[in-house]
Amino acid sequence: MKANVCSGLFLLFLLTALPATAKELHATIVYDDAATGVNAAREESDQLWITTADLKRATRFEVKPQGVCRDELCFPLPKSRQQDFVHKDSGASWFNLTAFAQLVHQPVAHDPALSTWYFGLRSDQRQMLSSLQAPDFTLPDLNGKRHSLSDFHGKKILLVTWASW
Amino acid sequence: MAQDTGGAKDAGPWIDPLKYLEAKPDLPKDTVETAKKIGPLTYTVLIDEKHLVSKLYNMVNVPTGVWINEKGRIVRPNEVAFVDDRFKNFTAMDSAPYLNALKDWVEHGDKSAYVMSEDHLREKLTANDPNIAQAAAEFGLGEQLYKSGHPAEAIPHFKEAQRLNPKSWNYKRQAYALSSEKDYGTTFRDEVIKSGGSKVYYPPPELPQAEKKP
Repeated sequence: MKANVCSGLFLLFLLTALPATAKELHATIVYDDAATGVNAAREESDQLWITTADLKRATRFEVKPQGVCRDELCFPLPKSRQQDFVHKDSGASWFNLTAFAQLVHQPVAHDPALSTWYFGLRSDQRQMLSSLQAPDFTLPDLNGKRHSLSDFHGKKILLVTWASW
Repeated sequence: MAQDTGGAKDAGPWIDPLKYLEAKPDLPKDTVETAKKIGPLTYTVLIDEKHLVSKLYNMVNVPTGVWINEKGRIVRPNEVAFVDDRFKNFTAMDSAPYLNALKDWVEHGDKSAYVMSEDHLREKLTANDPNIAQAAAEFGLGEQLYKSGHPAEAIPHFKEAQRLNPKSWNYKRQAYALSSEKDYGTTFRDEVIKSGGSKVYYPPPELPQAEKKP
């Protein structure tokens, strides 16, 4: 009986200690349509935690006192829910990228078998159209030379999509 | 702006047919002849492997045209934009009214009768539907899996994108082209018929009657 209690306690200890480290795996994160491999990702019931170093590498966002920021863009984290987004253990600082996506109304698609995560356009990017200002983009031509819509500012533009299929 | 997951490999022969004569001998003869006749292109053609432009502008089919003025503002939103009559047998749509409207805009700018009011534009453009955004993410994930050597695993995500945004022909046709229509239990033809035919597939542009000049 005593042995059972001991092993039960040990198991309980393992169960509380494990989630932080047991599911660390390699994941692919697609952000702004660019894929980045991340070696230490934690997937916990459809939540994706990555280190803040990987956050910067995969998304260019950084956690700062004023919020999660990239260049001029900054999204403040709700003060009462900081622990939903950031926590420290194993000598690293971890960030919940899926919780952040929910905060900024960004769609996420996930393939669990291949540990691949796709982060789509945030609502602020999608709402740009209602300003009637044409969303800018940069794409290559057949020779690989990159062109931006904004390169044609000052001229009338007929933007036409087509496809080979 | 080629919406092609296959990138230059798929779009290239249609941009510069003469460069691909050996690699793609089955190119239509008239395409090759036209390329010889017109010589180097005088406009910019870009390749959009991630369908980024469709995502940013909420486009659902090709060809789709948008008019953007000198200040970078949209003055006519997404609409079917045929600039010649090569698909007229299927579409029953004459390209002349669209081309005339385009010429009118080039001449008269924002005063053209074909420039839409801001309210009308917003009504046509704003579609911040979470399902449409989620569909784009599923499609993007499918493309990533396809390109990283997992074409079979991409299919469920392409199907999910089609379910979430059934109006997008881009999601249907690009996915069929990357494997086979059989993987989706349908055909392009059946889907067009199911949707209500070619007039639904290609809704004619909403063009006001041009003002008669004295």
